[in-house]
Amino acid sequence: MIVKLKVNGEIRSADVPPETTLLKLLREHLSLTGAKLGCDVGDCGTCTVIVDGESVNSCLMLAGRASGREVTTIEGLASSEQLHPLQEKFEELGALQCGFCGPGMIISAKALLDKNPEPTVFEVKDALSGNLCRCTGYTKIIEAVLDAGRIMSTSEAKS
Amino acid sequence: MATKTKEVLESKVKDSEIEDLTAPDNLKVPAKPALKPVVVPVDKPVVYPLDLPESEIRLRTPAVGQRATRPDGRLHGLGQTQYIDDMTFPHMIFAKILRSEHAHAKILSIDTSEAEAMPGVLATLTGDEIPVNSFGPTLQDQPVLANEIVRHAGDGVAAVAALTEQQASDALTKIKVKYKPLPTVFDPLEAIKDDAPKVHAPHSNIYASKTIKKGDVEKALKESDQVFHKQFKTQMVEHVPLEPHSSVAMWDANGRVIIYSSLGRITLGRDDLARTLGKPMSKIRLVGTIVGGNFGGKNEITTEPILAMLSKKTGRPVKGTFTRGDEFISSTTRHPFVMDYTTGVKKDGQILGRKIRLVLDGGSYCSWTSTTLGKGGILAAGPYNIANLFVEAHAVYTNKTTTGAMRGFGAPQVCFAYESHMDDMAHALGIDPLEMRLRNAFNEGSVSPTGQLLQSVAIKESLQQAAERFGWKESAK
Amino acid sequence: MKKRGRGMACMWYPIGFTVAANPSAATVKVNTDGTATLLTGTVETGQGALTVLGQIAAETLGIATDDVHVVSADTDATPMDTGAIASRTTYVTGNAIIKAAEQAREILFEAAAPMLSVKPEQLEARDRKIQVMGFPQQYKTIGEVAHHSEIVIGRPAIGSGSYNPPTVEMDPETGQGKPFSTYVYATQIADVEVDDETGEVEVLRIVATHDCGTPINPMLVEGQIQGGISMGVGFALQEEILFKDGKQVNPNLTNYIMPTSLDMPELEVEMVDNYDPTGPFGAKGAGEPTAVPTAAAIMNAIYDAVGIRITSLPATSEKVLSAILEQKAA
Repeated sequence: MIVKLKVNGEIRSADVPPETTLLKLLREHLSLTGAKLGCDVGDCGTCTVIVDGESVNSCLMLAGRASGREVTTIEGLASSEQLHPLQEKFEELGALQCGFCGPGMIISAKALLDKNPEPTVFEVKDALSGNLCRCTGYTKIIEAVLDAGRIMSTSEAKS
Repeated sequence: MATKTKEVLESKVKDSEIEDLTAPDNLKVPAKPALKPVVVPVDKPVVYPLDLPESEIRLRTPAVGQRATRPDGRLHGLGQTQYIDDMTFPHMIFAKILRSEHAHAKILSIDTSEAEAMPGVLATLTGDEIPVNSFGPTLQDQPVLANEIVRHAGDGVAAVAALTEQQASDALTKIKVKYKPLPTVFDPLEAIKDDAPKVHAPHSNIYASKTIKKGDVEKALKESDQVFHKQFKTQMVEHVPLEPHSSVAMWDANGRVIIYSSLGRITLGRDDLARTLGKPMSKIRLVGTIVGGNFGGKNEITTEPILAMLSKKTGRPVKGTFTRGDEFISSTTRHPFVMDYTTGVKKDGQILGRKIRLVLDGGSYCSWTSTTLGKGGILAAGPYNIANLFVEAHAVYTNKTTTGAMRGFGAPQVCFAYESHMDDMAHALGIDPLEMRLRNAFNEGSVSPTGQLLQSVAIKESLQQAAERFGWKESAK
Repeated sequence: MKKRGRGMACMWYPIGFTVAANPSAATVKVNTDGTATLLTGTVETGQGALTVLGQIAAETLGIATDDVHVVSADTDATPMDTGAIASRTTYVTGNAIIKAAEQAREILFEAAAPMLSVKPEQLEARDRKIQVMGFPQQYKTIGEVAHHSEIVIGRPAIGSGSYNPPTVEMDPETGQGKPFSTYVYATQIADVEVDDETGEVEVLRIVATHDCGTPINPMLVEGQIQGGISMGVGFALQEEILFKDGKQVNPNLTNYIMPTSLDMPELEVEMVDNYDPTGPFGAKGAGEPTAVPTAAAIMNAIYDAVGIRITSLPATSEKVLSAILEQKAA
């Protein structure tokens, strides 16, 4: 079946078997390997993407159900001139180690900050509670999210 | 969530609504100053590397001591890091492995004929086809694919390579394996007995032992004011790297095999591949990119020889990635320890002698058990000056998941025991836990349990620094 | 009712393999503009090894971290390495890199010496310059020297080296010997709250003081300590592979409980000031020691809070509650 959707601002489409998940569509048919396969059953969060403004475990969503929707993946955050504030802060503070949880973690953080750029520490922890990380202990990740939120809530946007 | 229609996707008006930064007057949020989220334009997505200013810290000299950012850190945040499972090669096919559901059984027969006939299947593989079907960092007691006996539920017995992962998984269900169940043993304290079922018959289940002896511990215990005893136990845990094990194998026309792997140790990996495939090392290229978390579980080969053989048979690159379930049942885990501590002390808290027995649940194969046993044994007495010491440690086979290297090699287990024990003694003697430790801890030049003169010792400094930072004295009840 | 408690635990941990040889080899190539390439057989497993190793090479050559490009993990192109295991990378591979970089640097000194009219022994490499010791105003840039050495004299500045920690075999009966070249030390203190009606343990704060010798990159050492503590918290309170008749009951992340962001306590991490003359610029290691004392500190804090001694891990709420009730009944 043909799935047509907007990914990172671009209309994309692919012909896939009906049981294909959104994750597999992104990774294997659209060459967007930022979202990862860590468990395939929605436990680890490495596959997190944003669908119509909400963060979603893409391994649990069928590609067909994403048809006609707007998806944002990690590949859609930076432009050729600048990193997203989250990407900037994650790099500066050394928030990622092996990096495998990174794309999902940053996307979940973006979904939070887009709605609430000044979250409390608890709100950050809660928003990220579906994204497992084994390397970092989450500490620098939480600091980076709070710092990025400060940039996002005070700076002028560049268009 | 409303499903957006076709018009929405193709409408430019909708695009600008998403990116519009100032809300129209009738939708403005009153009172609080409007928070303007930074919206990064999506009409110029990143395909090539960005042109960003260099990091100032990375340009400083001297280099040591700088909080330098990681170049791979930037790529992680962009989603541009290539892990093994992100790699594709032309004509690449996929392998899956059938794993035993029996904890201990003789393999009577393996019939792959029906699997071979399944749609998309290009080849199957059993252990018999692997030139040298054994590996292991200390004892080569582990088969690449079990072909005689399975020793734990999770032991691989056959593999399939097919055009898609789904086809490979489907074909696995058609492989017919006939097993004859054998008696099982799961508890290391049972497995250590002479009459327990043997996991690697005819050998004893006790496959590694270590002793450390210093001074005269029995005499020291007799001379103590008080003797304390307790048994401590720890559980089996798993590394849970977020990235599952993954490898891709391919050959060139000159008989060289190239393997991309999530292995954390490629020099050892190449040794193992040379051995199992019966090939000279100059014909083997093993490449790592970045490992998405190791913690010890990716320190030995898993599927690499299997993928190499399947690639040879099919003439195609073959990728094999563990499922999360495979990670738990087929990769290695941390050794459960049973630890018996007996310590004799003077009234003032000075430790005169200590006796320790460690029994390690060594799982079904040796893997990194010898190292864990050795380190656990050496570290078991703790960072304390103990003139009279006896440590005996044994690793026993059981019919459970292979226990191997995991962050700390026995140290977290023994530390749990010796530090809990330390507090028990401190409380019984009415001594502050910090004082008890300072009284016994190593100094620069102290002698270790193995008679080594220690240098660069900082245990007391770490205790005092932590106590001060925490407010230890102030928070006493 | 919630009861508060504090508990400490300290530990020691070795660097490198137990007695057995575990060498690392490295190659350093200086480019004709004074930047360099480091070839190492180690594999980056997330801890930031390549960054740290690059800093060590840079320090030896007197250039900046960003001037060194690190190539790793290819048996065709990089020299052997026993691997990122046993917390050995900074120490063993680091020492190998210093040797390789010193060899390359010696070639630069031999090229620079006549340019500055001194002997090679009078030179040092600092701040991207080859300069005369004690007379820093007499220098050539490292780029000028590297170019001159390779293009004019015909001696490319390249060096290789290997290192293996010195050990002494352990006696088979008494275990006496010198199994490791060096050790690191640490203390962690936990502040917990135990709910004596549910058995739930919340770790509020952990103070960790870790000795790693010289921290080559303090930001990355902090990351290791924080990550190690999260594994320690899981080991202490949550994680367990359960078996029934030899089959795993919970081989998935739904039922294998491990720490999420909500489970992490407030962490205060400090490094203990120390220097090991046998390590690269005084460094030792940090990867594994970070996960070692956490469980004991938490168990000791539980004892301080509710007076019960947990003797088997993990201290799940069922186990803690059952011990509390047993104690009340007695």
